[in-house]
Parts: sequence; structure tokens; C-alpha cells
Amino acid sequence: MTFEPVWGTIIAWYLFLAGLGGGAFAGAAYLRLRTPHCVHLIRYGRIIAPITVIIGLVLLMFDATAGFHNPLRFVFLLTNFGSVMTWGVVFLAVFVVIALIVAIMDLLGKGLKIPKWLDVVGGILGICVCVYTGCLLGVAKTFPLWNNALLPVLFLVSAVSTGMAAILLVGIFRSPSEFNKSGDFKKFHFYLPIFELFLVASLMFITANSAESAGWTSVMNLVAGDYSLAFWLVFILLGLMVPTILEWKMLFMSTREVEESRTGHMISAASDILVLVGGFTLRLLILVAAMPITMVQPWM
Amino acid sequence: MARYGMLIDTTKCIGCYTCRTACQRQNGLLPDEDFIRFEQREVGSLPDVRVENVPLQCMHCEDAPCAQVCPTGAAHMGADGIVTVDQGRCIGCLYCMAACPYQVRVRNSRTGAVDKCRFCTVSAEQTGTKMCTCVEACLTGARIFGDLDDPDSQLVREIARTKAAPIAGDLTKSKVFYVR
Repeated sequence: MTFEPVWGTIIAWYLFLAGLGGGAFAGAAYLRLRTPHCVHLIRYGRIIAPITVIIGLVLLMFDATAGFHNPLRFVFLLTNFGSVMTWGVVFLAVFVVIALIVAIMDLLGKGLKIPKWLDVVGGILGICVCVYTGCLLGVAKTFPLWNNALLPVLFLVSAVSTGMAAILLVGIFRSPSEFNKSGDFKKFHFYLPIFELFLVASLMFITANSAESAGWTSVMNLVAGDYSLAFWLVFILLGLMVPTILEWKMLFMSTREVEESRTGHMISAASDILVLVGGFTLRLLILVAAMPITMVQPWM
Repeated sequence: MARYGMLIDTTKCIGCYTCRTACQRQNGLLPDEDFIRFEQREVGSLPDVRVENVPLQCMHCEDAPCAQVCPTGAAHMGADGIVTVDQGRCIGCLYCMAACPYQVRVRNSRTGAVDKCRFCTVSAEQTGTKMCTCVEACLTGARIFGDLDDPDSQLVREIARTKAAPIAGDLTKSKVFYVR
């Protein structure tokens, strides 16, 4: 039997967008607490968050065909609290409500009146959404590539990284002066892909040595098999290493003039776009490369 | 209460797919929807080689991973330990398909809901269908259906005699036993 992945591109988009939205809100909350003068960057984060998460949820409903045809069935989503997906629905529902309230208040010019605790609660829920996207896959015992404690952490780091990249990307074009003043935020963002590299390496080493040979097969799919080009070239090189090198050049090796020049901004924008591409590629690869334990059992 | 199970004797199976077709007819399944998946492998070494046919279907696990992850409660443990998918409740998120270690769940391409082997004998009480047709239709008598809690049933006696075991050890608490 050739194994067909259960979930494909649509779910990869959903995992990516939900993580991006949660990360963007958490990023905006961080900015609010650390650099409240960056009102525009904060606003971009608050707008990006509900939009991306809602697009992701619409994709998800579209993919759940039986529910899409009978929308009332989505009510049942709150019935089995033993399911990670049910918890995800709770987190996403509360998060979307808070994110929408915050976004609307900000757009109405009441950004500074938003209580800090609302930003903090929204940020925590945003992080819950990011972690949830990893736990959703993590509890499927069938797939060694998913069924480990590293995946939710990897998805969290990647999600916050993409969320912050989205804020910075919009900031470069819409509010370059604030982008120049958000050094603290940019440095935080810089370290995430490096952390992610270590997490990915750990995930590969641990999964390849999983008790089930499907772990080895999944890792081989990524590092030396059908998906090796996407893994090494798009995810590792373009999605993690190139942004790290570009940002390192911009943040630590360039003069202020270069960093704040138009060229400098374009380099930062390129790096942020690559982070986003890498984030999506990671989720798609994790979905399609995972092999089930029963595929490679001796009885097969 | 009965605890229904099945025995599949792969040494008798000739891989004719009759069970699968009979199941599709009895349950009114779509042409691309089958509850029984066939796997084949070569066993033995030359010159004594044969092909082993392994029909796989829902194992009706007592610790059903599909029911654990199903967010809507559509996949659940029904009467007599039969793992059931409530077709009117399923949203088609496919989480159960990701959780099932045997890859024996299928999506109905018309409704989008997920479905699988229903151990029809038991559903007969509701729908009036006859005994599992996969058991009746099998040309070589490779399948036996019965109550695992009834020590006098043909099923329990044959499991003991043939030393039949679940297909993947104790991966889940499977109620389908295989003779290999």
C-alpha cells in the first residue's frame, strides 16, 4: 500500500495561518508592553491576528466537508473534551473574540485605552493557539514524527517567528520610522529561527531513533527522500538560515545608516518574507512526510 | 452484554475481494468507498513461497483512538462495544483517520463524513440487514463472527485452537483476530 497523507495543503495553510495570527497577537502584546510608542506596529499585529486566524478557520471548515454541508454540526465540536481539537476550538473561539475586540478598538482610535490585561490575556491565548496546532498533530500516536513533545514547541517558536515577521514586514512598508525604532523586537525575532534550527535538528534525531521504524522512514522522507529538496533548500536554507544571516548582518554588522536605508529595509523585508515561506513549508512538510507505524510493520 | 469480535484466517484467504464487494452492496457504499483493505505480502523462501492476503478493517478497538480524538463525539463506542460513526454528527475533519493506526477509515466522497466497518450483524437490529455479509459471502470460510465473552462460541474456540492474535500485537485492544 502506498500511504496517502490524511491532511494536505489546506490543513497546512490552516496550521500556518492560525500560528501566524496567534504569534502576531502575542508579538503585538509584547510590543505594547516593551515599546508602547510603536503604535503602528502594534496596530498591524492586532489587525493581522484576527484576519489570518479567521481565514485559517474558514479554510478548515471548507476542508471539513461534512460539516461545511451541515454547518449546525459544528456545534458538536464542544462535546468531547477528551479531544485536543475540542480544546483548540475553545482557544480559537475565545482568541478570535478578543482579537476582534482589540482590533476594532485600535482601528477606532482607542488603541491606548485597551487595558493591558486584555492584551496579555489575548497574547496568552494566542500562544495557546500556536501550541495547540502542534498538539493537534502530537497526540496522533500513529505518526512518530508527530507523536513527541518537541513538535508543539517547534510549532510555537515557528508561529511566533512568522507572526513577528508579518508585523515587521507590514511595518517596513507602512511605518519605516517605527520599524527603525523597534530594535528590541527585531532582536527577539532574530533569535527565533536559530532556536528553531536546534529544535528541528532535535526532532529529526529523536524521531529517526524512535522505537518504531516509521520514525526513521519519516525523517528519511525529509532529509533524503521525496521531500529533501523542499526540506533543505526551502525550509532550512531559505526559511531559517538565510533570514538569520540577513538579520545578523542588518542588526549587528551594519551601521545605523545602512540598517535604516532603503536597501537595508528591503533586505529585512526579504528576510521576513523568507521566514513566512519557511513557516508554511515546515507545516506542509510535517504533514506530508509523516509515516504511520503500521505501514512499515513486518506484516505489511 | 455481548462483546462482538471477528476472526480472519489469512491461511484460508485467497484474496478474491468477495467480502469487500458484498460489504459494499449490503451497506450501500459508494464504488470508491470500501471498508475492507487488502494487503499482500510474500512469505517463506524459495522454493516454498506463497502470497499471504491480509484483509484489514476496523478492529473495533476497546481503547479506540478514533473515539478519543473525535471532537464532535461522532466516532464513539456504541452498543456491544461496536465502534460507530454517527453519520449525522461527523463534520469530516479526518482527525480519526489520522489517529487510527490501521488506516481502515474512509471518507464518503459524497457526504464528506468518515465511515468504516460497522460489524453489521449488530446494526441488523436497527436496519434489518442480515448477518455480516463478509462472513457469509467468503468462499473459503475464512471469517468467523461472534461473541468474545461466550466461551462456547465458535469464535472463541477457533481463536484458541488457531492461536489467532490481533494484527499488530497490543498496539490497541483489537477485537479482530488473525490467523497467520
